[in-house]
Amino acid sequence: MDVVELESDDEDDYNENVPTSKSLVPRGATINISALTRKLAQERTVGGSQGQDKLMSHIFMDQDFSWLHLKPDHASRPLWISPEDGHIILEAFSPIAEQAQDFLVAISEPVSRPTFIHEYKLTSYSLYAAVSVGLQTEDIIEVLNRLSKVPLPETIVSFIRTCTLSYGKIKLVLKHNKYFVESAHPDILQSLLKDSIIRSARVVSARDDSSTVTTFTTSKAPVKGNLVIPGTKEAEKSKDDLRSAIGVKDDNLFTSVVGTENDEIDEDDDNVHAFQIDDTKIDDVKKRCNELEMPVLEEYDFRNDPDNANLDIDLKPATVIRPYQETSLSKMFGNGRARSGIIVLPCGAGKTLVGITAACTIKKSCLVLCTSSVSVMQWRQQFMQWSNVTDRQIAVFTADQKEKFAGESGIVVSTYSMVANTHNRSYEAKKMMDFLTSREWGFILLDEVHVVPAAMFRKVVTTIKAHAKLGLTATLVREDDKIADLNYMIGPKLYEANWMDLAAKGHIANVQCAEVWCEMSPEFYGEYLKCESRRRMLLYCMNPRKFQACQFLIDYHERRGDKIIVFSDNVYALQAYARKLNKPFIHGGTGQTERMNILGHFQNNPAVSTIFLSKVGDTSIDLPEATCLIQISSHFGSRRQEAQRLGRILRAKRRNDEGFNAFFYSLVSKDTQEMYYSTKRQQFLIDQGYAFKVITHLEGLEQMSSLVYKSTDERIELLNAVMMENESSADLGTDVRASEGDLAGTVTSKDFGRLPGGGRAKRTTGSMAALSGGQHMSYVEQNKSANRKLAKAPAPERHKIFMRKQRDEQAARKAQKK
Amino acid sequence: MKLEKGVLLTCDPAVKQILLMLNNRQPFILQDLDEFHVVIKAELEAWVRSQLETELEKNTYNLE
Repeated sequence: MDVVELESDDEDDYNENVPTSKSLVPRGATINISALTRKLAQERTVGGSQGQDKLMSHIFMDQDFSWLHLKPDHASRPLWISPEDGHIILEAFSPIAEQAQDFLVAISEPVSRPTFIHEYKLTSYSLYAAVSVGLQTEDIIEVLNRLSKVPLPETIVSFIRTCTLSYGKIKLVLKHNKYFVESAHPDILQSLLKDSIIRSARVVSARDDSSTVTTFTTSKAPVKGNLVIPGTKEAEKSKDDLRSAIGVKDDNLFTSVVGTENDEIDEDDDNVHAFQIDDTKIDDVKKRCNELEMPVLEEYDFRNDPDNANLDIDLKPATVIRPYQETSLSKMFGNGRARSGIIVLPCGAGKTLVGITAACTIKKSCLVLCTSSVSVMQWRQQFMQWSNVTDRQIAVFTADQKEKFAGESGIVVSTYSMVANTHNRSYEAKKMMDFLTSREWGFILLDEVHVVPAAMFRKVVTTIKAHAKLGLTATLVREDDKIADLNYMIGPKLYEANWMDLAAKGHIANVQCAEVWCEMSPEFYGEYLKCESRRRMLLYCMNPRKFQACQFLIDYHERRGDKIIVFSDNVYALQAYARKLNKPFIHGGTGQTERMNILGHFQNNPAVSTIFLSKVGDTSIDLPEATCLIQISSHFGSRRQEAQRLGRILRAKRRNDEGFNAFFYSLVSKDTQEMYYSTKRQQFLIDQGYAFKVITHLEGLEQMSSLVYKSTDERIELLNAVMMENESSADLGTDVRASEGDLAGTVTSKDFGRLPGGGRAKRTTGSMAALSGGQHMSYVEQNKSANRKLAKAPAPERHKIFMRKQRDEQAARKAQKK
Repeated sequence: MKLEKGVLLTCDPAVKQILLMLNNRQPFILQDLDEFHVVIKAELEAWVRSQLETELEKNTYNLE
């Protein structure tokens, strides 16, 4: 077959030899040996042994990099860099992979980290971050070259140089509630002001508006001192000790390069020059500067800031932060100042504690923004738990509560929408907002940064004056890819934890992921093909085989002693499953007392080891007992939801037991759209290194004695019930009503990524009798919800006198009737 | 006597449902045997295969 390929290249001159026989003889047969030998001979004269490469070249098309020659000892070098887009491919099985990873995490962004081959990407932001933690341009190039299987491509070298050399020349600082662009080199500022966008953003103060752009405010450069992050092991030691300790511990080149060393970014210059810019145009300026390849540095030298009152908070002595939390914070406070940026940690790995520790390090007034009023209370509670902040120092600003902290400085916890909302403010809210905007904040903590719409962010960032910003998230993915905006609005990604690494070290549970393929039963699939998409969803959720698989898995894991959570976005399916399998369930409509009762039983009662949860359980319910998770219906292809759900079992209490595994099952109906969504959902977790096993057949399922929907009749009955259902029951997450102030993309909203809209009213047609309830049949509930069967707390004992009194009254009433 | 060339298809129940649906558009099934087997017209075999392929491909997720 290769021969055909060869022949087609010099088709023209070959056709002259065989002009007529073409239609009769199949093409392959017309090739004679001479054509082949001629071709091969040509190649031999051209390139000798490289002829083999050329043969393969056409397969790789644009991605043919065979001209990059391997180094002689390439086998012992672990990585390869694409000269075109800066992607780095790392052999994670190499003996020096661990050091290489430390280095790569510092200079590039992880793209995908499965077991054996990792992929990283060099971006300008990641390189800025690398420089800001003290890496030198030449070191980066040298180490990369040392690790690379091929000599470092020229394109990459020049890319690294351009990105790193321009870094750190200009700074954005906040002084007396005004933003200044600052630099030690007046000529750089001059060149910046030649740019129209930046010039228009400049605020020319009254006293020098007559003069030209050449005048800058000049002041003394700050001097740096010592800093220790509280809660770390070395907290007692001074920073210099800590540095030398690192230096001694690993004299290895890679890690010592990563360890922060030189930080003399124009420290030697005594004078800095600055011009003021308009608050509202901060974003434009930052964006423009990035485009000009002169990124602005946003650092806060919080220890030398006498203008803002210190906040006297510290971590409680008992609070110990974990090594990776320490690493992430050391990236933030790498040079003794607070750097703005984003920290990415898996769900359940203690993001909150990282935020609190950062606040305790800066020790200035702090504003915490989160996505919903529920998490506002959680943050407040966590602050009280981990740090010695007093009740008076921490205030909450939500639709229901508007507090101010007492004293000069303090912490305010609020939601994004409370701060970004511009219209319809109550008097108190307005007063509170004035309070927030009028003062200078040392630190602003942004929780779940990935969900916040860009416009809202801009609003927050421009109205609130903060020196340092820290974004926290578990999943830096959005279905609408608006992540890039965060880079200049908050800052670069400072740290991203490796999920697999944390799991291996026991900080999060080891999880076995599996996708269970359930065949659609023929009746259901027949209907599925006929229906339109909304009902299709209901059909693949309610697939009887899925019921069976779910029952089997619950049974199997209950016998192993696991605690199981079953997730379903579709409330109708949730109820149907829970009732059929006789398990308690919680959805948005479940009352608070019932909810607490069920959760209490799940936690303490060995007889209740399975609960069904709707979307409400995605984030707001914390169940460290759960060790097994089964997903029967989910929100289309949302990668974030998949990660959030996995997060429910990552903090399993038993994670440190020997050989413990948590289980994550996703039940999927075969040959339906669900297969598509399911694969899409998994992408994020796959990039984190999770491997999904596919289970096509559950061993022993048929032998189960009490299996549901065994007979065709039962299945058809179920099908009829599903077909009778109103179409709206196919909607997902209908039970959770978004409360005011919650953001799109959080649990409570129906759309992930899109803005909430549309009315809440439901329109149905029906006869007068139906609408007034006259057509309802009276019925007896056969298949009762298991919620009811859970023992309620016993009714308080009544005194004998009242018992007797009641009995007498009843007897009297009976007698009267007679 | 009428003679027609047929092909025996062995499939899983779900695929059979798709075949039945396709059959409504353009009849090609000669004999519906059981859950797993159908006999179809031999000349339409290639067409049926390609149709089935596109139908199943709809549910597969590709990276771009």
